[in-house]
Amino acid sequence: MLNKQGQRQITNALVFLGPACVFLVVLLVIPIIVDLVVAFTDMEQTIIVTELTTEQFRKIVRPNEDALLGFELRGSFYRALAKTAVFVFFTLTIFNITFGLLLALTTTALPDWLGGTFRAIWLLPRMSPSVVYALLWIWVVDPTERGLLNQILVNVFGTEPVNMFLDQPMALIVVANGFIGASIGMLILTSSIRSIPEHLFHAARVDGAGSLSIVRHIVLPALRWPLSYITVFQALALMVSFEYIFLIMGPARSTMTMAMLAYTKTLAPQIGSGQYAYGAAITLILIVFGTVVALVLYRLANMRSLLANPKIEVQ
Amino acid sequence: MKPLKYLISGAIFAAGLVAGAPIFSEEVTVTLWSRADRSGPMRAGNIVMAADQLNNFLEAAGSDTRVKLELIETNAKGFDADSLDLLKAHSVGDTPDIIVAAHEWIGAFVEAGLAANLEEHIQANPDLYGDIIPQLWNSVKYKGERYGIPQDSEVRMFFLNNDMLREAGKSEEFIASLPEEVNAGNFTMADFCDLAAEVKNSGAAEIGFVHRPNIGPDFQMAMASFGIDLYNEDEAKLQITRSGLVNYYTWLADCVEKGALPADMTTYSWDSVHAAFRGEQALSKFHGIWNLGPQLEAFGIDPLDADAYFNKITWINAPAGEKGGEPKNLSHPIVYIVADTPNKDLAAMIVGLASQPIPNTRHAVGTNHTPINNSQAAMPEFVTQGWGLVAGVPLLEYAEFMPNHSRIGQYNAITFQGVQAVETGEMDPEEAAEFVIEELETELGDDLIILD
Repeated sequence: MLNKQGQRQITNALVFLGPACVFLVVLLVIPIIVDLVVAFTDMEQTIIVTELTTEQFRKIVRPNEDALLGFELRGSFYRALAKTAVFVFFTLTIFNITFGLLLALTTTALPDWLGGTFRAIWLLPRMSPSVVYALLWIWVVDPTERGLLNQILVNVFGTEPVNMFLDQPMALIVVANGFIGASIGMLILTSSIRSIPEHLFHAARVDGAGSLSIVRHIVLPALRWPLSYITVFQALALMVSFEYIFLIMGPARSTMTMAMLAYTKTLAPQIGSGQYAYGAAITLILIVFGTVVALVLYRLANMRSLLANPKIEVQ
Repeated sequence: MKPLKYLISGAIFAAGLVAGAPIFSEEVTVTLWSRADRSGPMRAGNIVMAADQLNNFLEAAGSDTRVKLELIETNAKGFDADSLDLLKAHSVGDTPDIIVAAHEWIGAFVEAGLAANLEEHIQANPDLYGDIIPQLWNSVKYKGERYGIPQDSEVRMFFLNNDMLREAGKSEEFIASLPEEVNAGNFTMADFCDLAAEVKNSGAAEIGFVHRPNIGPDFQMAMASFGIDLYNEDEAKLQITRSGLVNYYTWLADCVEKGALPADMTTYSWDSVHAAFRGEQALSKFHGIWNLGPQLEAFGIDPLDADAYFNKITWINAPAGEKGGEPKNLSHPIVYIVADTPNKDLAAMIVGLASQPIPNTRHAVGTNHTPINNSQAAMPEFVTQGWGLVAGVPLLEYAEFMPNHSRIGQYNAITFQGVQAVETGEMDPEEAAEFVIEELETELGDDLIILD
């Protein structure tokens, strides 16, 4: 029989950790296990499994005697991996981190009401339904002179209309995803800047520091952990993101990332989908790559010390 | 022990209800699976009316059985997505009794144990099916047996805007002779591409021609023009020829090169494709006969004035790939499928009633689809309002159907990847053909025969 304190500890653990654990198990662990199992079956259109097989993986690789393991990824998958890398790298570095940081710095430097207004505007893309947001982009970059971008280019700058769908598809999805991704960085970084004790700014001013020095010596050091967190978290989120790519570009080859490839082979409408086991195998590879990327970033960003126990005991 | 008493009396009452039910009447619920589709609301509507009709017969015969039709209206984006949803529903035991589907899914439905073999039903009811255009039966056959009833048929074509041809300096004789030249194999796919480029370069059109932006039967029609025979019926396997594929992709690449076809065609929305032709920007559009209605509206032509329409628009088959070759057409019937459920006999009768000339004409004339029964062409509605459909029938002479193979969806998706790759300039035709064949071999495995 547990004593009262012991019972209380268990109750506390259930109350505080329970929801998070349920969330983790239902939304992460179970799907990964299902994916793992399905990837080794022959599940197709009828969702009936008749045998366990490695057939799906044989579709992804081809034998190559020169390769390390005796096989290599087929062209389509190299291509998809390369596109995923380009998409994640540019969206993350240009928008989610750099632009998010710039927005946080500038909007916190403004008077509160003005900064708040700008932040609210930057949150609009995230708040609007994804289909509406995608439709707006489709209109903006419409290759004819009806598109907003072309109206500006032709009427203001007098240049030829551009066709981003054809010529710069990757840039298009990077920008479209970036405008949404930047807002998360902006929010987290803003709250981090706000949590810097105000006397530090006053002290720096007294010591004669300019705005740039304050940013360099006070703000940025305080943002190290949030930036590490955003990098790891958003890199993983972008790797598996396909919603806006699909809505804006459709199943175009030019923006066929790994996540898009898995989607088009399984659940996407009208594009030869229904190959559930094949898609699961592709997703499994994506999970493996995601884990590797997460571990490498975790190590590079020294996340361990972020998550370490605090040096001061808080009772 | 009050609760027990309640329980027992409740059970007795329930048993009485179950046993007593047939004494009142027997209501059989027949479920119909149909995709909400603007291009054919009467596909489901005719089944609903046929069920009413059947109830009238049953009542007159003094039978206590009544049919209650339950409509499962799905909102999938297209017939492929809808069929996948249906297969999933079937796998978990939610099998409907009647299905409206695109014919090429029959193979998958038979393999999944979903579609009932209708061979006996059709042979036992010649009065219901005797007038169906014989060629259409091919679209519902799988391994030689019939698993569905054709619901409509169609022809596809290149629509050409005569006004633009005239503006580009083409003579009336040239325009009038085009369909014949195509059918004789004198006017080839390459000639079509040159013509589109010429009209565009003359300034009479902004765009040469447009095709569908997504995967679909039009591409199979063009592939057939280049001599690709998609299906080996004896072995029930899909086929491809490397040389045919290279020729087909070379044609597309040439069309883009010459400016006859927009390089970003596959990123167009359907609306932009329609607007390009109906808004008189493009000389030609590659699509199907059901475009007639919207075209009449867009060009402001009286729906009963055939002459005014054909003065403005010319229809041609997909020309032959090579001089002297045969042009091609592709009909893509929608079919009624009866599922292998306990209600299948009743469901088949409802389908039979819905396939009669009067209900079918209601669908065909209303949505510009060609008829399924020979006699429909003589019906008053067809003669007055259906002139376009009558005009489309000669094109059917060159029509083929998509194979009823369970993997045709994947086949179409992969060959479409090649279309995207060559049109956007990502790959040259040889590379694209190589890539497509590798993907086909990988995904289809034993279901594919590579002929060269």
